[in-house]
Amino acid sequence: MRKVNLVSGFTSGLVFGIILVFLFLIGFIETGAGLLSKLLGDPVATNTLPKLGYVILFLALMAIWSGSSSAKKQNPERMSQVILPALVNGGVLGLMTALLALIFGNYVKVGVDVRNYLVAVSPASIKMLMLNMSEPTQSALALFALMTIATVLGALLHFVWNRRLADKVDRTVSIKMEAIKLNRIFSFLKHPIARYIALVGALALFVFLPRVWGSYWNYVLGTVGIYILLGIGLNLITGWTGQLVIGYVSFFGIGAYTFALLTAPDPHGIMMNFWLALLIAVAVSALVGFLIGLPILNLRGDYLAIVTLGFAEIVRILLKSDLLTSFTGGPRGIRDIGGPTLFGMDFNSDVNFVYLIFLLVILIAFVANRLQRSRTGRAWEAIREDQTVAKATGINTFSSKLLALTLSAAVAGLAGVLFASRNQFTGPEDHILLVSINVICLMIVGGVGNIPGIIIGALALKGLPEILREVSNFRMLAFGALLVMMMLIRPEGFLPARRPRMKNPTVEDPQEKAEKEA
Amino acid sequence: MKKLNKNALRTLLLIGKYARWAVGIALALFLTWRVYQVLFVQQAFTPDTWLRFALSGLILGGMYALIAIGYTLVYGIMFMINFAHGEVMMIGAFCCYFVFEILRFIPAPIAGNPDLVFLNAHPLISIVLAFLVGMTVSGFSGYFLEKIAYRPLRHAPRLILLITAIGASIFLQNAAMLLFGPQRKNIVNPAILDRTAGWTIQLAGKPVLISYTGAFSLILSALLMIGLYILVQKTKLGRSMRAVAQDQDSAALMGVDVNRVVSQTFIISGILAGASGVMWGIHMGLVNHITGSLPGIKAFTAAVLGGVGNIPGAMLGGITLGVIESMGPALFGIDFQLKDVIAFVTLIVVLIIRPSGILGEKLTEEKL
Repeated sequence: MRKVNLVSGFTSGLVFGIILVFLFLIGFIETGAGLLSKLLGDPVATNTLPKLGYVILFLALMAIWSGSSSAKKQNPERMSQVILPALVNGGVLGLMTALLALIFGNYVKVGVDVRNYLVAVSPASIKMLMLNMSEPTQSALALFALMTIATVLGALLHFVWNRRLADKVDRTVSIKMEAIKLNRIFSFLKHPIARYIALVGALALFVFLPRVWGSYWNYVLGTVGIYILLGIGLNLITGWTGQLVIGYVSFFGIGAYTFALLTAPDPHGIMMNFWLALLIAVAVSALVGFLIGLPILNLRGDYLAIVTLGFAEIVRILLKSDLLTSFTGGPRGIRDIGGPTLFGMDFNSDVNFVYLIFLLVILIAFVANRLQRSRTGRAWEAIREDQTVAKATGINTFSSKLLALTLSAAVAGLAGVLFASRNQFTGPEDHILLVSINVICLMIVGGVGNIPGIIIGALALKGLPEILREVSNFRMLAFGALLVMMMLIRPEGFLPARRPRMKNPTVEDPQEKAEKEA
Repeated sequence: MKKLNKNALRTLLLIGKYARWAVGIALALFLTWRVYQVLFVQQAFTPDTWLRFALSGLILGGMYALIAIGYTLVYGIMFMINFAHGEVMMIGAFCCYFVFEILRFIPAPIAGNPDLVFLNAHPLISIVLAFLVGMTVSGFSGYFLEKIAYRPLRHAPRLILLITAIGASIFLQNAAMLLFGPQRKNIVNPAILDRTAGWTIQLAGKPVLISYTGAFSLILSALLMIGLYILVQKTKLGRSMRAVAQDQDSAALMGVDVNRVVSQTFIISGILAGASGVMWGIHMGLVNHITGSLPGIKAFTAAVLGGVGNIPGAMLGGITLGVIESMGPALFGIDFQLKDVIAFVTLIVVLIIRPSGILGEKLTEEKL
């Protein structure tokens, strides 16, 4: 018989209590309850608070989650083992919630407005937390009871659910089976016919969708496409060659600005043809990448990262400064940047532009894919794995790295051109460091060194936040938290790169074995 | 055909190699000419202005140095860039703000002055309290940051750790924004640390103000640095930290609890960042959620400048960076908007000429 573990209940209660307090202080309880109410088909009007029932539901769901997660840690066999820790857990959670209501309720009663210090805590939201009761002590008691009961309920639910599962199969086995199933969903693409069908389906979708969506979704999709380009470009130098370039945004900015200066009427009035300007902009970015790479590519990993970071900051500050205002338009940026035309056809409508972005993404993805399998690509991957060994096998590491940086700068320049041309505007604030951090993150989230992974990552990082408009205030917060969690749980990304493997006839490949058994 | 290509590339690289030197020499000549112009031909600035620049550079440099030490300590042990370190400093600055705000509303009337508040009645206690709270909270933030985000990834590739750190940094920044709002907050100092007050000295017939807050933060950062140096060189904790930095596995075999030492390192670096955050709050007087990000990047620059993993190097790098940043624009006759450009250009030049930093030792391949 296992000992009843009260400490884990206490910890769980404490952790969830802190999360709850934090959520309340940033004003997420309102938003969360509003989301719940929207999910259940009862959208909340703007500037009104969600109904009481949804607030209770939200709080109860938090408590149930807390209870079930602490019950999971117990790995219980009997019901009594669950109840006691759940009571402790619920008690701590309830106590913290009740204290919160008590403290802020009394502030409201005295008439202090805490919004001077905690901007999200309005009197209305405090009232909501107090379950619309006027007396703080009363509401504290009610909250305490609610949280305790919900936590115990959550623990019991987990116990019952777990018991049901345990009757069927051993749990560890079932988890393994889930993992294999997940792998299988993606592995059906291995079959060539299935792959072609998926490809054709995706293409049809991409041709069809931009025509029926509004321009807003085309905008979002275009942004995703530009970020896919950036991701593929960064993947050349960081994913395959293994050289961390944090200041990747500098090449993006240089491409965008070169293009803008060549096609916009304002600072210089050159008004060049789109395609010519595109080529020049890409060439300039590539040249800058080459020149920057010459002195710095011999540096070791983190130094390289920080030098490129410095370079990106220099580019941004120079673009913003008064020194270059007459040349680059200064902090106001450049307006009325030209759009593409081809054989007299205008590409300026958002639908056509999305098509253009798609075409270029497909082209670049194809080129990158071929590059990876070429001699150069294999040399890059050898450098990533071990520079010394790569050198010993006769690879000129320096020129390989230089080539990778030049190419990736060129791709970034292309993305910059598309970005500037689509928005018809570019300014220094479009090229802040956050852009390159986003690109690194989407590459990691999707799976380093894998082009489909990059596409998934771009969709997840640039597409998802647009869908979750309600929580737009909280999305950067969630983004940061998700990044950390992602790295902790699945550091290789959603779609990790498949390594070409040599079969060892004496040892069976564990993955294949598992698939066979399933 | 292939051979020709290779030769062409080789020639190109050779040209690049010489071009590097040529560009370097040209740059040096140009800068010397600019300095000569500014100092002797234009004479745009009088000596008192130069002294003012140097002083503000030293004060800024002291704060950079404290943050840079935190980067260096962590880098020395885990070989990771702790991107969230600037945010730990921001937490320190917020602590300063809140402590002063709370003390400002506690009345402490005396016979002659019934409106006196605690902040002005006991300024020394208030300041000590702000530092204590700021350093404690920042130390705890450093500890929990390591425990939650970095410890599970101890043996992960460095790219993963870097992403985690970036994620943590974004999280902390936005949490602060959502909690306290995006607008800047004014920090009201105790009356004895009025930002406009100070000693005045005469230089070439003109007054130069040495503000109390500046002198205070300069002295305090010097004291903290000396304290840290003693801690690292003389105590048992410092010895185990150095051991872990040299070789984790061997240190573990010699009976050093590596996890504990890493935690303590994060706490120490958090405490230093918190102290510099409180100083930042007292000296600069403004705090919001992005207070930490630029000083964070600058401090990392400073750490690299001095040689990453090297504590005296971080101090030297911080002071150098601060002074260059505040004197550079005037010295080279460049717009003052471009002071950050000068800081980063310095970094790049130093790294190209001497990649291990000013005081850095040559690192073995293993640590690359």
